[in-house]
Amino acid sequence: MTFSGPSPANRSSGRLCVIFAASLVFLLTGCSVNPIYQTTGIVLSNYSESEATPYVLQMSDPQMACALGEGVDPLLYSFSRVVDAPDSSGSLLMLLAGNCMEYRAWNAELDYLRAEYNGNVPAAKDAREVSKRLHARTAERRYEAYQRAMAAYDFDPAAEPMECPGFFTDQDELTFLLGLLTGMQAIVNDANSGAQAGVPRNIAARAERAVHCVDNEKWGGLPNAIRALVWLLIPDTRPELSQDPWGVLEDSAELGLKSGFRASHAVQVVAAETFGRPDVLASTVASFAEADEQIEVRDDYRLVDQVARNVVTFSSDKHWTAHYGHRTPSGFFGKMSAERDTSNVETMSLDGLL
Amino acid sequence: MIRKSLAVLSLAVVAPLASAQSVSMCVFDVIGANGDVYNLVKDYALEMKAHGVDFELKPYTDEGVAVGDFNAGQCDAVAATDIRIRPFNRFTGSISAVGALPTYDDLQTLLATLAQPKAASLMKENGYEVLGIVPAGAGYLFVNDRTIDTAGELAGKRVATLDYQKDAIHMVNYVKATVVPSDITNFAGKFNNGSVDTAYSPAFAYEALELYKGIGDKGGIVDYPLAQLTVQIVARDEVLEDELAQKSREVAWGFYPQAMRLIASQEKAIPDAQWIRIPDKDIIGYQEMFRENRLEMRDGLNGAPDVYSPKMLNLLSKIRCASNPGASECTADNRE
Repeated sequence: MTFSGPSPANRSSGRLCVIFAASLVFLLTGCSVNPIYQTTGIVLSNYSESEATPYVLQMSDPQMACALGEGVDPLLYSFSRVVDAPDSSGSLLMLLAGNCMEYRAWNAELDYLRAEYNGNVPAAKDAREVSKRLHARTAERRYEAYQRAMAAYDFDPAAEPMECPGFFTDQDELTFLLGLLTGMQAIVNDANSGAQAGVPRNIAARAERAVHCVDNEKWGGLPNAIRALVWLLIPDTRPELSQDPWGVLEDSAELGLKSGFRASHAVQVVAAETFGRPDVLASTVASFAEADEQIEVRDDYRLVDQVARNVVTFSSDKHWTAHYGHRTPSGFFGKMSAERDTSNVETMSLDGLL
Repeated sequence: MIRKSLAVLSLAVVAPLASAQSVSMCVFDVIGANGDVYNLVKDYALEMKAHGVDFELKPYTDEGVAVGDFNAGQCDAVAATDIRIRPFNRFTGSISAVGALPTYDDLQTLLATLAQPKAASLMKENGYEVLGIVPAGAGYLFVNDRTIDTAGELAGKRVATLDYQKDAIHMVNYVKATVVPSDITNFAGKFNNGSVDTAYSPAFAYEALELYKGIGDKGGIVDYPLAQLTVQIVARDEVLEDELAQKSREVAWGFYPQAMRLIASQEKAIPDAQWIRIPDKDIIGYQEMFRENRLEMRDGLNGAPDVYSPKMLNLLSKIRCASNPGASECTADNRE
């Protein structure tokens, strides 16, 4: 068997095909950017949205998810230099990156509370300063995530009258909703940083309006929980004859349990801390912990439930550290003190042994 | 001997913790524990811990309830705006006297003066003691029509007025405008939905409470501080020893730069085009108008409420005349 190359006629038609394909790519992509970059950008962007995001939302490890956000966001979003900005995935990645920074801020905050408990003022001041800086960075990331989420759906939060975006998938709706929540969180982080990040405070009132664009039942009461939080922050935004915000938060938490993710519990905990309601804080932490026995966490949004768990655990840890100098001991999540009810525990007489 | 020394040493280590004095404080912040003021008070509390005072903070989003709980003995101290502080100390409660501090430089001079040990006796009144004062930002007039740029134009306009702020009610009546009783939680809504023509507030509310909606295309913010709002910490006199109370005022004064950075960022968030500049000649007229009203509200004349402290007005006048010696008030017969 001998190898024979293509005939001169075949070679010529092959070259023509390559030239034609190259010209087509060149025409379609313009001449300023390497066409491979653009193709890669489009592929990565589509892959992130259709495969990576659903996969990450099913994860049960928020720390790993946040590391993904920090590591991948600069790469994915750098493709906004060559193709349309991947704002939908970019919003979620930046949200995860914000969570990473917040976990560090939380640790510093617990260091501050522990040092304060121990009466070590210089250590407490140092830890508080670290916490402020990390909260500032968290606020910046979250504000960016919020802006990307709004841009992803061409939504202008300042527009009046407001025009809701059209969502093609549930994932779109969730990305938009989480974007609004992240904007609200950015305000909290900024306040805890001593307003170093300069996050606009009008996000709260705008989120209250924009959250009407998503379905409350479908998203475990989270939209109404966000609204109730804003009503507490800015009483003017609360519609006349509406339910008491604390009642709305309670109902939302209940709905979250039925829907299989407890994001509304996290909002309720933040509200309890913000407005000085230790009773609500204790009952929400307890309700979250008790639900571990009953809840069927929804597989598609396992990460949302886990991130909510981190928020509630941190609130519990803050309480324990401020009052006892350490985080919530294992086995005590859901309780606000180490007291145990031992009144019904039987004891044996030691007479005869002593 | 060694054992004895160790015992002394361990006592010395434990001593700061054991001797820390616990003081509960009701803290007002419109957005509660995640607000800027609350966070500032947390910093103050941490600093005070180094001086042996352990503040336990409790957030309040309703200032009236915070002061009410303080009055009811549920907190040893309260942090609230000076308008609410007047019943406890008329002297420091008069810092927000109308038009009395036209610049932040003047405010800085005042707060530095009040933080001195010499001012300690003025910080005590009626069994209460002021433990610290930090700025909360100048109050500006927000209008829905830029033609409301003189006091005369205010006649007949509806003004959202804090219903417990007697001096503001007097001023609104003085310019023949209509008082629309309001509180901190609803004045912005009234301005934004057009049920009032004007409202007054620190710059904070422009973004957070969306006052730009009430301003619309035609309105603006009059670029003249109507009053200097401050947050003051007051405690029952017996809560802290005199020396600690003085230390507390010095600590609070130390937070002046931090508070001013916050205020500067809030004012910077307002676009330049929103400000309504007032001609210098008009400002001179307003300063005199405010001065006459302050005198009336000092002495309770012509139906004015008797709300301002003569001593504070005198001090504020001295500060203004030090920074602007050519002002006509500095040579007036009826100087404050």
